[in-house]
Amino acid sequence: MSGSYEYAIDVENLVKSYDGVKNAVDDVSFQIKPGEIYGLLGKNGAGKSTTIKTLTTLVPPTSGNVTICGMELRKKASQIRKLIGVVQQEEAFDFATVERNFRIYGMLWEVPADKIQSRSEDLMELFNLKEIRKKRAFELSGGQKKRLQVAREFIHDMQVLFLDEPTAGMDPIMRRSVLDFVMGKAKEGLTVLFTTQILEEADYVCDRIGIMDLGKKVAEGTSAQLKERFGSLKKLVLTATDRIPAESIPLVRAKLATVPSVTQYEVGDREITVIGKNMGKTVYSILSSLSSLSIDIDQVNLDAPSLDDVFLEVVKK
Amino acid sequence: MKLPAMVRLTVRNVLVNTDPGTMFFMLGIPAFYLLVLGTMFQGLIPSFTQHGVTTSYTTFLAPGIVGMQAFTAGNIGGGMLWADRRWGMFEQLLVGPFRRADYLLGIMLVSVFFSLAGSGIMMALAFLINGDFNITILGAIILMAVLVLGSIFFTSLFLIISVLVRTMNAYQTITFLLFFMLDFASTAFYPVTPSTPLVLRVISTFNPLSYIVDVVRDCMLYGVSYSAWVGTGIITLLTVIFFYLSLVLYNNVRTGL
Repeated sequence: MSGSYEYAIDVENLVKSYDGVKNAVDDVSFQIKPGEIYGLLGKNGAGKSTTIKTLTTLVPPTSGNVTICGMELRKKASQIRKLIGVVQQEEAFDFATVERNFRIYGMLWEVPADKIQSRSEDLMELFNLKEIRKKRAFELSGGQKKRLQVAREFIHDMQVLFLDEPTAGMDPIMRRSVLDFVMGKAKEGLTVLFTTQILEEADYVCDRIGIMDLGKKVAEGTSAQLKERFGSLKKLVLTATDRIPAESIPLVRAKLATVPSVTQYEVGDREITVIGKNMGKTVYSILSSLSSLSIDIDQVNLDAPSLDDVFLEVVKK
Repeated sequence: MKLPAMVRLTVRNVLVNTDPGTMFFMLGIPAFYLLVLGTMFQGLIPSFTQHGVTTSYTTFLAPGIVGMQAFTAGNIGGGMLWADRRWGMFEQLLVGPFRRADYLLGIMLVSVFFSLAGSGIMMALAFLINGDFNITILGAIILMAVLVLGSIFFTSLFLIISVLVRTMNAYQTITFLLFFMLDFASTAFYPVTPSTPLVLRVISTFNPLSYIVDVVRDCMLYGVSYSAWVGTGIITLLTVIFFYLSLVLYNNVRTGL
């Protein structure tokens, strides 16, 4: 699927401002190799969707250089659009049945009629759409619509696929099935730029991850690298023997706030979660503080941070 | 065989608009006018004379219904932009192998197609119930030209509305109002005579559908005369103006917001 270029997507110092005052995307650079799955993570409004809309030629960049499949975005937008597939975050359907949506979309992309037939059957099977093939797209549930939207994009061949929160509204089984399908396509050479709010997904599917915050890219690497980089962080989960009295919860929070290596904490009615550095050493002082509040701890777990913890730490900075 | 992008978009526009609801709006309602209203009013108005030609009411009504197809087709075509913006397909198509111009041409072409096809069906129906028409080759050419121009004019009008109107309620209210104003305050159903109330005469004079219907009626019943050329000229001018306005507004539709 890949052509003769080093990077399927090459973004250098991309800036996008809608109002000329605030940058929705602020000096962002990243490169994605052919066949790679790159995840863009960030809170709502971090600039992920604007980045995708810029790279898919929907909005013009304010400044910066973007090359897709070896072609400059500013000069060859219409050629680029013939090589990419896009699943937008917003729903997008024709006012027609599920199967007709496949047929129309395939026709628009000049897919031969026999391929439209066979591919749409395969995709409807894979994405569990066969039973609802006669239903109009607008009668479908949120998860069914998303399945149709993702499945329909695979009716045509492409070199780069942009997936903007593609699994929103899907159940866990379908979500895993979609991610496996995307990974399979990447193994065949498809390059994927993927955004999601579900960090487990990014951990599972992405070869590399970029974290965005306030329009800037604030961290980048493989999931393992990011965990390693923020690896001094550990997650300590303490389970109390009994319920923690409501009046003690603010006292626990106050104690944890004074521990210098603690970066984050959450106090539940039985469980206390603490994220911070050097937790192995700090755990004793935390246990002692809790003991002084007459809170007995039944279980202590010290884990490496998940991608969620890394994300929270990076975005908090 | 590879089809150009605008043709593929036209095919797509035909496919998504051949649902029973749109078909009823496009063909069912005009057929109802022709068959039911035509027949019922024929009982009240057996015949009348215009331009020195005496016709039955059904014969008079038929060109009105044929001319109305330009309005109906324009409504469907122009309304596609509104629907595509609302349902996300406008942006989806623009990140696909299409340019903005292809999308616009796809809309214009589907309107022209629906206008000519609908008019053809209405004419066939009119011939079946009353075959008393007098169409020359020149008349047929002008008739087709004015239907094409008329559908582009109305498509442009509805494109302008599609760009300017945001909510579904407002869009539906405006199209509903236009449907009644343009259809019923035109010369499609009745001739404008000196006894027509002044307000209705003024509305009818400023109603573009009246000019389309009058040219169609000339071409089908009375023969191509000076008034047919004037009417075609007015429709051409209006089409150029409205098409330009719609083009300016369409080019300013922002995506990716």
